[in-house]
Amino acid sequence: MDAIGNLLLGFSIALTPVNVFWCFVGVLLGTVVGVLPGLGPPATIALLLPLTFKMDPTTAIIMLAGIYYGAKYGGSTTSILLNVPGESASVVTCLDGYQLARQGRAGAALGIAAISSFVAGTFGVLGLMFIAPPVAKFALRFGPPEYFGLMVLGLTMVVFLTGRSVVKGILATLFGLWLAGVGTDVFTAESRFTFGRMELLDGIDFVIVSIGLFAIGEVLVNLESKTGAEIFKVPKGLRNLLPTLRDLKDSRFAFLNGSVVGFFIGVLPGAGSTIASFLSYGLEKALSRRADKFGTGVIEGVAAPEGANNSETGGALVPLMTLGIPGSATTAILLAALHLWGFRPGPLLIQENPNLFWGLVASMYVGNVMLLILNLPLVPVFAQILKVPYFVLYPAIFGISIVGVYSVSNSLFDIWMLGVFGLLGYLMRKLDFPSAPLVLGMVLGERLELSLRQSLMMSQGSLSVLVAGPLSAGMLIFAGLLLIMPMLHRVRSWRVKAVEQEV
Amino acid sequence: MKLTRIYLTAAFVLGCVWSLCDRVWGFEPTKPVELVVHTGPGGGSDIFARAITEMIGKEKLVPQRLQVINKSGGGSAVAMAYLAEKKGDTHTIGFFTGVWVTNPLTRKEASVMVKDLTPIVRLVLEPAVVAVKADSPYKTMKDFVEAAKKNPGQLKQSGGSVTGRDNLARLVIEKATGAKWVFVSFPGGGERIANLLGGHVQMMVMEPQEAGEHIKAGNLRVIAALTESRLPSFPNVPTIKEQGIDVPIIPQARGVVAPAGVGGDVVQYWEGVFSRFVKTPGWKKYLSDNQFEDGYLTGNNLNRFFDKLTVQMRGILKEAGVKVVR
Repeated sequence: MDAIGNLLLGFSIALTPVNVFWCFVGVLLGTVVGVLPGLGPPATIALLLPLTFKMDPTTAIIMLAGIYYGAKYGGSTTSILLNVPGESASVVTCLDGYQLARQGRAGAALGIAAISSFVAGTFGVLGLMFIAPPVAKFALRFGPPEYFGLMVLGLTMVVFLTGRSVVKGILATLFGLWLAGVGTDVFTAESRFTFGRMELLDGIDFVIVSIGLFAIGEVLVNLESKTGAEIFKVPKGLRNLLPTLRDLKDSRFAFLNGSVVGFFIGVLPGAGSTIASFLSYGLEKALSRRADKFGTGVIEGVAAPEGANNSETGGALVPLMTLGIPGSATTAILLAALHLWGFRPGPLLIQENPNLFWGLVASMYVGNVMLLILNLPLVPVFAQILKVPYFVLYPAIFGISIVGVYSVSNSLFDIWMLGVFGLLGYLMRKLDFPSAPLVLGMVLGERLELSLRQSLMMSQGSLSVLVAGPLSAGMLIFAGLLLIMPMLHRVRSWRVKAVEQEV
Repeated sequence: MKLTRIYLTAAFVLGCVWSLCDRVWGFEPTKPVELVVHTGPGGGSDIFARAITEMIGKEKLVPQRLQVINKSGGGSAVAMAYLAEKKGDTHTIGFFTGVWVTNPLTRKEASVMVKDLTPIVRLVLEPAVVAVKADSPYKTMKDFVEAAKKNPGQLKQSGGSVTGRDNLARLVIEKATGAKWVFVSFPGGGERIANLLGGHVQMMVMEPQEAGEHIKAGNLRVIAALTESRLPSFPNVPTIKEQGIDVPIIPQARGVVAPAGVGGDVVQYWEGVFSRFVKTPGWKKYLSDNQFEDGYLTGNNLNRFFDKLTVQMRGILKEAGVKVVR
């Protein structure tokens, strides 16, 4: 088969000592960048661009891509151990991962995150290799109405994230949607809720909200505890240091879910890994037998989103390589790098530069293997972080968060915002408001409003455009079904109870 | 005693010579220079600045390292405010585009205007072309305009911000022809092209090098060049004026400014660097590879360009019904 032949060509390029070395540098750097909150792959790649001018372009892109997917591996570490999302896509991992850590199963969580990342990352590469052109064509059918359908589908996941009180979950989502609206209106260039502040012209950075709500909020809540903050049980014994066979069995659907959802979302320009991880988590919960346990420390609640954000990198490279269209911030800068090295990314890139493309694809296999080998043995090491006494750990969390946020924009205003959202996170915990829906609302809100208004603009105000196409109608119907499903469960259990009573 | 006198005189003379040297040779950077851009990593200005950094480094035109600083936010507001803060700083320069002129006109919070800064040089003018899908029925701009007139508000154009060049081009063409079609904003360049390729919109105003690859692959067709004269890379594509639509050509300019309050010797230094830079073969190749027009302009001509552009933009925006605050 043609692809196999090309893949062998790719391996012959990827496995040269130089390329293996730089692949390793890339994935290592990526892991570090992923662990540190604030600093992300786009900025790191930008910093390293001058270095790449002296390298062979294939080697350079191998390294830069390594940073890209390496960061997705690293992001889960602080999410699980400290409830600090290292990367915006790792926010969902905090939900169950942190709970697992509190139960002494940090090792299992970290391990399953690494394994799921590996499985899904490899799936992403396979997808890039075999089905890139048809998938890219399919993705072109997604116009604004289809994006709207997808966002509505994502928002229905709120139903699965609300915990005990649906009303509070909805309120949190609405607040998140409002936060997404702060900034500049895309269509009229008018400022919304910026209170005259230039720093708010581009809206509120999601990273700040997630770190504030989760990390700072968590620390504040724990500080209040009169018995002195609980020190987490450090996992002892191999059983808790790595995922058990039981865990792997529980997660088998999550591996598939994460891989497929992540890849397809990645192909869509504009939908990123955060959306992919939320959708994957929601889908996993929707189709799970123990849905109500999600949020308390369910292993597949870590496996699904972690897989999704990794296969998303493979997906995001599809439009870049097949059409020259960047799908995310990181692929945008990879596109810029390709330009600077003299390539003309477009539909003919793969044909004209087979060495570059197949060398890159093969290196992604290599990189994923390297990352698995890097991360798994380090799991027990990382888990020891939990041994650190709270009076060292909490200031450290504060410190990492503040430095991370400051490193993004060098703005003290952002630090104030971090404090505000930290307080909000604290309040929400005390009042039993779930924070995941707020984050979901914020992530999806921007794209939801954008695609709704784009659709209406295109149809001159007619709402029917949203159900005109089969894809968008299908997604809206599916979302409707998902909303009704919990009620069906209730009806069924009510009927079972009624029957039981009769008997 | 006599020795002290000699030393003092020598010191005095050396001092004079030193200051004269400074006058003769003028300013030179003595530490790394910041290049401020208003986009994030990967954005248009960012790539442009990095390419120039690379080329200047190769030609060794500046003795210090050049560091690209991303100050994105509010269009160009954050970057311009940053430059305003750096008043008098001799080791900072900024890369401007047309947005630096239009942004302060529409946003209250963007309080710094280009004329508050020190223009150094204009480097390129980016031409634009009108592109449609290769299998669409529009073979010329006239076809598209006629179709738009027959079905007002039905045809769609994808583009960026409503104050961006692509929408302004649409506004002037609409005014000149009486046709009306819809402009749909997409925040990312990739999405604009994706929506065109996917048939969700019918037309897009794009840069020739963006279009080039898709044309080679047979996906897109260019129906007009929004320039004064035909583009060398599209010799068979008539300009918009050749097709009978008389509109002002709205340039997308790129160049360099310095913060306010820098001395004449600093301005002279940078003007000198760039006047040598634009003569290098590397720059000429960059211009042709990216299909930019050489827009080299400096000094008073540059100031006049900014004034003229500001007035033109204000006029177009007002007519389009966009709220103008300055």
